[in-house]
Amino acid sequence: MRPFELAAPATVGEATGSTGTFLAGGTTLVDLMKLNVVTPHRVLDINGLPLHGIDTGDGLRIGALERMADIAAHPGVYPVISRALLLSASQQLRNMASIGGNLMQRTRCTYFRDVSMPCNRREPGSGCPATTGTNRMHAVFGTSGSCVATHASDVAVALAALDAEVRLAGPDGERTVRLTDFYRTPAGSPEIEHDLRQGELITEIVVPRLDWAGRSTYVKVRDRQSYEFALCSAAVAMDVRDGIVADVRVAAGGVATVPWRLPSVEAALRGRPATEESFAVAAALATDGAKPLADNAFKLSLLPRTIVRALLEVTERSR
Amino acid sequence: MPARLDAPMKVTGDAKYAMDHNFPGMAYGYVVVSTIAHGEIESMDVTATKSAPGVLEVYSPFDPLALGPVSTPMFGETWVPLRDKEVTYAGQPIGFVVAETFEQARDAAMLVGVSYRELPALTSLVDGLDTAVAMAPGHVDEPPELTVLEEGVSSIEEAFAASAVVVDATYRTAAQNHVPMEPHSAVAVWEAGELTVYSGNQGAHLPALELSMALGLEPSAVRVVNPFVGGAFGGKGQTSAPAFLAAAASRRLGRPVKASLTREQVFTATAGRAATVQQITLGADRDGTLIALRHDSWCSTDIAGSFIEPTSHGTSRKWYATRNLAISQKIVPLHLPPTTYMRAPGEAPGSFALESAMDELAEALGMDPIELRRRNNSLAPPGRDLPWSSKHLDECFRIGADRFGWAGRTPGGRADGDWLVGMGVAVAMFPAQRFPASVGITLNADGTVDVQTGGADPGTGLLTVLSLVGAESLDIAADRIRPRIGDSALPPGGMSAGSTATASAGTAIMAGAAQVIGELLTLAASPGAPFAGEEVTYADGRVHGQGHTMTFGEVLRATGRPGLTAVGSSAPGEEMTKRSFSSFGAQFVEVRVHRLTREARVSRMLGVFDGGRIINHQTARNQLMGGMIWGVSAALHEGFEIGVGEVRGRVANADLAGYLIPVNADIPDIDVHFVEYPDTLHNDLGARGLGEIGTVGVAAAVANAIHNATGIRVRHIPIRIEDLLA
Repeated sequence: MRPFELAAPATVGEATGSTGTFLAGGTTLVDLMKLNVVTPHRVLDINGLPLHGIDTGDGLRIGALERMADIAAHPGVYPVISRALLLSASQQLRNMASIGGNLMQRTRCTYFRDVSMPCNRREPGSGCPATTGTNRMHAVFGTSGSCVATHASDVAVALAALDAEVRLAGPDGERTVRLTDFYRTPAGSPEIEHDLRQGELITEIVVPRLDWAGRSTYVKVRDRQSYEFALCSAAVAMDVRDGIVADVRVAAGGVATVPWRLPSVEAALRGRPATEESFAVAAALATDGAKPLADNAFKLSLLPRTIVRALLEVTERSR
Repeated sequence: MPARLDAPMKVTGDAKYAMDHNFPGMAYGYVVVSTIAHGEIESMDVTATKSAPGVLEVYSPFDPLALGPVSTPMFGETWVPLRDKEVTYAGQPIGFVVAETFEQARDAAMLVGVSYRELPALTSLVDGLDTAVAMAPGHVDEPPELTVLEEGVSSIEEAFAASAVVVDATYRTAAQNHVPMEPHSAVAVWEAGELTVYSGNQGAHLPALELSMALGLEPSAVRVVNPFVGGAFGGKGQTSAPAFLAAAASRRLGRPVKASLTREQVFTATAGRAATVQQITLGADRDGTLIALRHDSWCSTDIAGSFIEPTSHGTSRKWYATRNLAISQKIVPLHLPPTTYMRAPGEAPGSFALESAMDELAEALGMDPIELRRRNNSLAPPGRDLPWSSKHLDECFRIGADRFGWAGRTPGGRADGDWLVGMGVAVAMFPAQRFPASVGITLNADGTVDVQTGGADPGTGLLTVLSLVGAESLDIAADRIRPRIGDSALPPGGMSAGSTATASAGTAIMAGAAQVIGELLTLAASPGAPFAGEEVTYADGRVHGQGHTMTFGEVLRATGRPGLTAVGSSAPGEEMTKRSFSSFGAQFVEVRVHRLTREARVSRMLGVFDGGRIINHQTARNQLMGGMIWGVSAALHEGFEIGVGEVRGRVANADLAGYLIPVNADIPDIDVHFVEYPDTLHNDLGARGLGEIGTVGVAAAVANAIHNATGIRVRHIPIRIEDLLA
């Protein structure tokens, strides 16, 4: 860690008008500062800003500083969101980490986190050892020759499935961006991870009302029962009527450089029977276009299974 | 008295570990590590580091500390940092920054610039198999290749040819690190030409000796203190880099110096467990009788070849009554962090291979896996006329099968909703050994007793054992014993290593107690003493004469003595020429595998152990549970990831986010059961070791249970989801 200056802006305007790196729960930023991966000269502690509140009146509105644990425990939050949160990190981390910070968390790629190694995301142009190195945890979708790092957030996958938007405040005013448009796949510039302009801050997460989103779940497959990132995950909401899938949302985590919505799988499910057989047929489409690496080809087998399991869980719960 | 004497202090934070020691004027050291696996350091730019706030000194191979080589009979050479410019693995200590605060030292260390002349690094065990070198494990008194053939058989191949059923398979196990909760660390205080080092270790005398060698001091000028140790598991036997560096820097600076590895550095700047490849061939009659057993082992080691993981010698050499046996051990030196003893070195990875192979043989024979093991129960290691002193393995299996519901196991496993459920078993064995140990026993005039030894209690329960055995030997209540450990100023108490501490220190206490009682009786009956000229005996903490008795405290007070001290010693002796000694166990595991997403989770575990006499049931149970959890970890989670495509040969998962160990949710209730047959042929106390056997066999039992549940045989650990997606 390098010495840095700490400031605590009192208003959103003051925060977005200042230069510095935003600090909320600190569970990513402080970690990366200790590793020397991020070396801000100035840190802006935004915990005093009025970005709180969980409103379930019409859809869902969540202040960016709400903690993961509080959102997960809120009774009005759609199951897919609360489950994604509860399967993330540990209780201690969920007590600290904000939802805005969760969406802004950096990849867990071990090359990104090791300053002795090249990394295009950390040092543009230095190279990507993950393409030929240890890449079991890495992405198979949305990758490029310059970066194959997986997006680590669980709740972002759930939010992507529900067409969530982020409200942003910046020096030039406020705007709203769909979460799936907010994140950038690396292409040739992996250092640009999202559509956030200089000084902009996430102030709120907005989930449009979806009356059948109560029938939703998040399945996370990982190497141990808790406190580990996903190998594959599936966020699913499904409206089953008379045994037929009337509507459905499917997104995947652990497999892509951004939260990965699966419209082709959704299309293949709509109007089909809510059975394991038809789920399997649709889920098989999830891997179209996947680019496996040396250690992670198994994700092409695991992802459809994960989606089927999530769809079955929702079907079971709908009965 | 609590079941673990040190528990109240540990849970309330009163226990003072090495790093909890602070002294006026103390400086802080931060270790700099290499970022390449092989090469030579050409230069180190420390200009920015030296001018950073608070920095006192920067040591490196270009500005070294006065540290000499270290070598001891038991451990051979111990690596001492900054003595040359050669880098032989990524994460090797190459510098030491000392500053006024920890943060200043850390921040300044980030500014060190290192130029290397990089050389090709060997990091793949598999690539090195063809050029592996035969080498006998250092602590095993047998050649690297060993064959035992029955009369009339000319080769092991001939024995396989004569076998009705043969199974042959190759198994692999991952490299690991102990990752003790307390990182390797030290606080060094240099005063008037004498050095005191506070540092967690497995016995204070070895690091004291090693530090004196490195610093060129008389052994008497170095004292090492470690009353509490936050886990060791074999990784804190030899002196760690921070201890050498803090000690030398303290001498140079004339100030106390504190240094600790970071969590990440622990994975590389210490030594861990080797990766292994093992090929096993088993030949048997149709009735399951083993005709031939061949076990060829390869292990990784550091480039100096300093430690050999004895997987064949540690298991197949002794475990079964095979009529023919061939074992071998080869090493593959690599540019990876050093290897050393780690809980059940040899037995843990070796048992994964052997006990998986036995399961494969049982399947090939269509025989119950427990029955196969029963039929090949050994009475002595093959070819040795030294029968096991006390072996009740069959009883362990009998009790275990009953408690675990083994009769309910079916060959294809069973389904419970979306989960496939299977059961597996394995044998556990670990040699019963002792180290030479001395324990001081002092009867005090106030009626208390000091029991003191330089040995360590890294969570094993030794401190409590000193009280319990001391109380029994002196026939008094345990709360009158004041045990003390972890100080090289105390009598050399062996090490907490090799599962030896209870048997070693315990028998030394018995010897010391007999001596001190003898001296007490002599004193009591001496002229002018209360029992002058009488026939005296000792019982119940009292001296008994003709018609009157006194407590030992009263005798001491009456004779004007503050205390009476004897040092009892014990060491392995003649018994080793008469018998073979081992602890035994039967491991039972139930595993559930999701039918779709294939996570394997352990749902039930039972270990039934024959460890001789159990001195403290709660700490013994705790040791075995911990060992069994290690086994689950090895089976499903744990292992270094070393990128084969990487020139830098770094450990890719060197932190506790990437190096997985089980969390609480991965571990079910664990049932531990003992059969208790005191082994007084091994030592007078009748206790054998329990510290390591708990982990032996578990990984195989998990793999065998997974096979039972899914039909998939995985021959490497850790077993992960991708292995079960078929």
